[in-house]
Amino acid sequence: MGELKVSRARDGELVAIGLGSCIGLAVVDGSACVAGLAHVVLPDSQGVNGPAAKFADTAIPEMMASLRTVGASKSRCRAVLVGGARMFALSGGLDIGARNDAAVREALALEGIEMLAAATGGNRGRTVRVMVGTGEVLVQEAGGDNFTLLGPRRPDARHARPIRQLKLTGAET
Amino acid sequence: MSPRYTDLQLDALRELANIASGTAATALSQMLAREVELNVPRALALPLADAVEAAGAPGETVSGVVIPLEGDIEGLVLLLIPLDSAETLCRLLGVEAGSEVGDSALSEIGNILGTSYLNALAAMTGLALGPCPPHLSTDLLGAIVASVLAATAGEAEMALVMDSELDVAGEPCSMSFLLLPTAGGAGDLLAPLGLAETAA
Repeated sequence: MGELKVSRARDGELVAIGLGSCIGLAVVDGSACVAGLAHVVLPDSQGVNGPAAKFADTAIPEMMASLRTVGASKSRCRAVLVGGARMFALSGGLDIGARNDAAVREALALEGIEMLAAATGGNRGRTVRVMVGTGEVLVQEAGGDNFTLLGPRRPDARHARPIRQLKLTGAET
Repeated sequence: MSPRYTDLQLDALRELANIASGTAATALSQMLAREVELNVPRALALPLADAVEAAGAPGETVSGVVIPLEGDIEGLVLLLIPLDSAETLCRLLGVEAGSEVGDSALSEIGNILGTSYLNALAAMTGLALGPCPPHLSTDLLGAIVASVLAATAGEAEMALVMDSELDVAGEPCSMSFLLLPTAGGAGDLLAPLGLAETAA
């Protein structure tokens, strides 16, 4: 919760196990073969001092700064979101997952980072794995499927790749 | 500002947890007609990520019953039941695990544990405390605990976790029971004990 890691290890894998209302924000630069993963907990830092990656508004600038140190170029960076579920339908409780999802998307837009895919919403926990060398993003849903949210980098298809957005509900797909 | 807790405060909270979870264990024992053992409860002030780790392996599938608090303290209680233990509990109660009735039975166990725990806590502190209706989710432990912590302790750096482990004697069945007050809720819990001042 609030962690951020970047890597340029070709055989590296970044993992966030058990994302509920939190967002796993993966940012990959396929050409440089570097990737980062942040575990975002809340939508808005409201000026609170804490780990930058914990809040959507501070996580994205922190992610981009960290990625630069391992050789990423901002213009090539693409983002993928996983998580933001509503685990418990608490009466009167605010849907933190949905607010996290919206806040991360807004912060990405503000920073000018394109979002390629998302597996957010619904009511199931998820685990996300980012393969640093290939830029693949794999998702495992609790009690459900494993699927590839973002395929391995193919330079020829990079600009042709459509934006794929999976809005998952509780039902298996 | 993130609250910090002194050893004295954590000791006092641990003692509250000890007595309250003893009452809860007795209630569970009566419900199941089995002896229930209570392991030494803990009161921990941990960074959020460590609080998840303290609750168990994040990738493990568990049934989590959330019971929000109503009354003088903000926070919630969380009952975490590993899958095999949930099956044992359902068998002991004569219902099918994983069915709607099974889920309802687990929620009811959460409700009974939560109510007796909170009643004991209320009696000791003089606070008005009660449970809201339970919510059940069977999912990854990390997803359950992190989501609950985000809602209670999210903005603070440290989360206060009061947990106890309950074992049903003679059965492969254990569960953990956690009280997760908000930062303000922890202060409200300490105030009646004359320990409200947080350490600098």
